[in-house]
Amino acid sequence: MNKKTPVVLKRMIFISLSFLLLLAGAMLIGLSMGSTKGGFKAIWEFVVSGSADDSVLNAIIWQIRFPRVLVAALVGATLSVGGLIFQAILKNPLAEPYILGISGGSAIGAIIGILIGLSRFPGINIIAFSGSIVTLLLILVMSSGKSTLIKDSLLLSGVMVNAFCSAVIMFLISLTQDFRLHNIMFWLMGDLSSSDLYQAKILMLMLFPCFILIFLYSNTMNLLLLGNELAITMGVNIKAVTMTLLVVTTFMVSAIVSQCGLIGFVGLVTPHLLRLLLGSDHRILVPACILGGSTYMVICDLLARILPAHGEMPVGVITAMIGAPIFIILLKKTKT
Amino acid sequence: MKSSINIILKYRLFLIIAAAAALIFTFTDVSQSKILKDQLGRVVTISGKPERIVALAPSITEIIFALGKGSLIKGATQYSNFPERAKKIPRIGSYVHLDIEKIVALRPDLCVAVKDGNPQFVIKKLEALKIPVYAVDPRNIESVIETLKELGVLLDASKKSKAVIQNMQERIDKIKKIVAKADHIPKIFFQIGISPIVSVGTNTFVHELICLAGGTNLARGNISYPRYSKEQVLAFSPEIFIITSMARGGLFEKVKLEWSRWSDLPAVKNDRILLVDSNIFDRATPRLIDALEVLAKLIHPELFTTEIKRSQK
Repeated sequence: MNKKTPVVLKRMIFISLSFLLLLAGAMLIGLSMGSTKGGFKAIWEFVVSGSADDSVLNAIIWQIRFPRVLVAALVGATLSVGGLIFQAILKNPLAEPYILGISGGSAIGAIIGILIGLSRFPGINIIAFSGSIVTLLLILVMSSGKSTLIKDSLLLSGVMVNAFCSAVIMFLISLTQDFRLHNIMFWLMGDLSSSDLYQAKILMLMLFPCFILIFLYSNTMNLLLLGNELAITMGVNIKAVTMTLLVVTTFMVSAIVSQCGLIGFVGLVTPHLLRLLLGSDHRILVPACILGGSTYMVICDLLARILPAHGEMPVGVITAMIGAPIFIILLKKTKT
Repeated sequence: MKSSINIILKYRLFLIIAAAAALIFTFTDVSQSKILKDQLGRVVTISGKPERIVALAPSITEIIFALGKGSLIKGATQYSNFPERAKKIPRIGSYVHLDIEKIVALRPDLCVAVKDGNPQFVIKKLEALKIPVYAVDPRNIESVIETLKELGVLLDASKKSKAVIQNMQERIDKIKKIVAKADHIPKIFFQIGISPIVSVGTNTFVHELICLAGGTNLARGNISYPRYSKEQVLAFSPEIFIITSMARGGLFEKVKLEWSRWSDLPAVKNDRILLVDSNIFDRATPRLIDALEVLAKLIHPELFTTEIKRSQK
């Protein structure tokens, strides 16, 4: 064990650094492109000389695009790592906060918050968190019981909870009759257009400690994958670890949902792709998911901004269009 | 050593120039700028003569054109289709979903926003980027007049705005005079949505127009755009249905047929299921008066026959 650890460490550092580079590249592209042209040149000038001439373009890049790219990266990191944790703890490759209804639960909370006129932070955040905790408990209670069925019953109860959440969301929307309706609809589809630096800062403050905590648990997740009995003999307090990780993930996801709306399938696409590429060691997967997920999301957001000729698409549409087919492929694979 | 001194010297020169420029700039700016309070109660400083305006809603575009300053508009929202010239202005997204990047790239020296509809965060962001945003709130005849006045001052078009307002008021008075002769005020169901059935509440300008045109709005109440079931509408037993052409094509005929099945309805008995062009009914602009005239003639055709005959002669 002692001899092996440095190798893992080296590999982790190498992989993390390459993903960091990838993320930096994606962020630079994200900053360069948008409805205004000339971004590449300005960014190049900035990289080379540290400043750019065009003040308007500068403002566009640093005050409009930069916060957005930052928030997109945070969203991607959180949702990917959330997916990874759910898949590890629930031992189900199809588990993901969005599919299991955790996102839906926090969306219900957030919409109630919007309707009663709370501020985005901390009011809506708290209600969204409570909403998602309730759905988490619901899913756990519903899927507990016969252990042989647990894989399917978890997914099924998640789907049911998600359907119920959608119904409640529709109900809340049908109650709304004024101009807030449009905002809620767009927000529901996952919207990053209202991001600002303040929001990015709040998210960073909330999420970074969670990332570190999750990384500290990464080896424990490896042990959990070996099976409960083995994990217990290795000294893992399964209940405590499971609850901590689930609650932390739920907290992170609800923070993202209350700020940016429902963005689905990210937690499915990135962890699976990375597991295919890098194997199943969570000490490597956790940092890779954080950085790779950010990269994926920055690119999805870029697509959402530049694909439509007029205005922009909600980014959730893009992630769902990429993610849903992958979900179906995975489902097919695991069944046969 | 030498090079670093050079750099400092270079910077110093630059700093001095920059400071001087800033001083001159602020000086000239202050002497010509206007400090105003907008309809949101915000204090806005605007350069003396805005020359690059971005209008954040179709109604704003229309009002600025009415003031004869349409050529100053450098950016307009989707559906800014009146007057014809407005269609050629570069687009900056829809009024609820503005493309901030495009707005900033147009380098406006004034953005005119609407109080309801434009998201607050966009306004805040534009302000953070040092773009003055002046918010107006045109939602009925009175506030359209107020908006005309304020934008008239802002854009150096007070004369024109006075003329437009006077014309509006004269036309309103004329309609009022004619409608006052009516011996019956019919109950009207104004339908703006087909499925679900949506009408207009008290705090909309359509309600105001219906009242001015000599009708009673059946959907009056606190909710701006109340929804109804078919049953509820039938229980109202409207004397006149007015349906906007929001739903284009053959839909109006279909809706008309649908209501015509209830032959006991007064509106059906008297064949008074009417269609109006939604274009003049969906924005609070000076064209509201056009809408008022159309409505008055639809509701009280008997009062206008003499006038039509007169004009035909």
